[in-house]
Amino acid sequence: MSAFLPRTLGGLAAAGLLVAGQTTAQQEPVELTMYYPVAVGGALTEVIDGLVADFEADHPDIAVEAIYAGNYDDTRVRAMSAVEAGDAPQLSVMFSIDLYELLEQDVIVAFDEVVESDEEREWLDSFYPALMENGTLDGKTYGIPFQRSTIVFYWNKEAFAAAGLDPDTPPETWEEMAEMGATIREAGEGDRWGVMVPSTGYPYWMFQAFAFQNGHRLMSEDGTEVYFNDPAAVEALEYWVSLAAEHDAMPDGAIEWGTLRQNFIEGATAMMWHSTGNLTAVKNEADFDFGVAMLPMKTQRGSPTGGGNFYLFKDATPEERRAAMTFIRWMTAPERAATWSIETGYMGVSPAAYETQALQEYVEEFPPAAVARDQLEHATAELATYQGGRVRRALDNAVQAALTGQMSPQEALDQAQAEADAALRRYAR
Amino acid sequence: MTAPTAAAASRRFAARLPRLETLAAWLLAIVWIFPLLYAVWAAFHPSEFMVRFDLLAPLTLANFLDAWEQAPFARYYLNTFLLVTGIVAGQFVVCTLAGFAFARFPIPGKDFLFMLVLLQLFVFPEVLIVENYRIASALGLVDTITGIGLPYVASAFGIFLLRQTFKTIPRELEDAARIEGCGWMAVLLKVYVPLAKPTYLAYGLVSISHHWNNFLWPLVVTNSVESRPLTVGLGIFSAPETGVNWATISAATLLSIAPLLVAFLLFQRQFVQSFLRAGIR
Repeated sequence: MSAFLPRTLGGLAAAGLLVAGQTTAQQEPVELTMYYPVAVGGALTEVIDGLVADFEADHPDIAVEAIYAGNYDDTRVRAMSAVEAGDAPQLSVMFSIDLYELLEQDVIVAFDEVVESDEEREWLDSFYPALMENGTLDGKTYGIPFQRSTIVFYWNKEAFAAAGLDPDTPPETWEEMAEMGATIREAGEGDRWGVMVPSTGYPYWMFQAFAFQNGHRLMSEDGTEVYFNDPAAVEALEYWVSLAAEHDAMPDGAIEWGTLRQNFIEGATAMMWHSTGNLTAVKNEADFDFGVAMLPMKTQRGSPTGGGNFYLFKDATPEERRAAMTFIRWMTAPERAATWSIETGYMGVSPAAYETQALQEYVEEFPPAAVARDQLEHATAELATYQGGRVRRALDNAVQAALTGQMSPQEALDQAQAEADAALRRYAR
Repeated sequence: MTAPTAAAASRRFAARLPRLETLAAWLLAIVWIFPLLYAVWAAFHPSEFMVRFDLLAPLTLANFLDAWEQAPFARYYLNTFLLVTGIVAGQFVVCTLAGFAFARFPIPGKDFLFMLVLLQLFVFPEVLIVENYRIASALGLVDTITGIGLPYVASAFGIFLLRQTFKTIPRELEDAARIEGCGWMAVLLKVYVPLAKPTYLAYGLVSISHHWNNFLWPLVVTNSVESRPLTVGLGIFSAPETGVNWATISAATLLSIAPLLVAFLLFQRQFVQSFLRAGIR
């Protein structure tokens, strides 16, 4: 605790200086601790520190200590350890799909219990509905979207032109993507592939996109059931496998999540599916003309959302909860959301963010930034259930087994369904 | 007719065998060192050359500059250095005393107590994170370098290793020292510790490299740049959601491992010898 002391005194002294000129005596500031993960590259810790400093200048009665806590998994471990030790943070940014685990451990509280005025209730409804899906359960809001992303389609216009395709027309449907991929592969400039969809890292996330484009949602609203071996899901996986096996548009075997952007920038593939989080990096690194579009469709457009939400922790006084909510409101206000989106490549979380001057100018100058927003209309929640880790691993293994040819899509998904059912048995409502 | 041919063949085969072994050793060594070679390649070249090999690619130090600017490495070096020296010093003291007691003192129930200590080796350290955090928090050691190091000071591996080494030292030497009028402490410091030097060196090396690389516990128990070691600082370069910038992360990784690497190259011979003598493989 002694390590906190100097900082606290410093905070008090600073607060004291600020109020020295004012007539009313200020109370001791409410102290908040927040853990946050960093999931995209770059000096995001500095961006967060800057935002926190701005907030504290606006709100001298609240002091926030923002602590970088690794990736999403590390942050969860960190927060749970702190809660166990009676040292719980008042708020944190954590993976949006951690909701069920946090609820099961009974460590978070719904925002509905903290809001007081109608204005605050309106604030809860001010975000894109697709981004709220992972943060709400049984009509209550537990997660406020902060660092959120989705999958988009990137294509190399020069590679399209070289293969005799129209460089300004991305594929609209699955069939078109497969055909275009095969054409580019045949044109065979160097060893260029037509399309790459990553199958390590987050295979379940990519598979969700295929399934949703085929009109199928992989889990129930309340996170107690999954539908992995539905015919529509099997068809989706068969299509993914066929990109390599039949159309020769995609390389065989696993495609690395972590090196895919590099492959795209090197021109090793003409098309890729990847997180919007990569937009800024691709923009900075690609020395060719590229385009960004919505993912192609089978029966409908679709992509899951992803990323991190703000959560409020239970172990806090009412005063601290109010202060935490003030901070979260400030952080997600349209102007901040716009700055955050421009600096990181994450999405602006509310329609109002895209109406700010900053983001409007940015979108005008760099239209791909709006694709993720437009696609939100067709977005679905990221795969989140009770026992999320086990359920996602079952699906990941199935997807990889099918892509590497160890199992047929039907067998693989049947097995994943059986494993997930076993994990979820005791949560049936 | 066939027997001599077979014998000759097997002799020829035997003559070729060591070469096969050498080949296998080379193969393993290359597989093992490849990631390091790649990191060196990636760190010194612009990011266009990450997956393209070109001997004439221009060399650059920009990646190091980039990495250095993104994180306060100087502070992290200091923290890691303090952490590792602190842990190793603490381990030497605690493990020496405990190992000596287990090796030579007539304590009732000694073997049972020793088994209890060894049980520690079967527990995966990550399992204890929550409990360790609770203790560190109760002691007010969260966000301190002491807090990172404390759980590792009473190392079961170190106690085991030193006990075994002390047991191999002949009693006669101890008796001779006693005749000279040495007490327990003097016997330990003048007879046992000097003779166990290779073990200390080998164990120190294992411990240093382990704690230099430790990540999860330091991340969990620290909050600020002032107490975080290199590995945690390196964490901000990982980007699970987008895929990392290989050039920058390779440069940052090389920066983090450079002191260990240099130390290893300088003291290579001593390290290998002490490993052989102490019998740790």
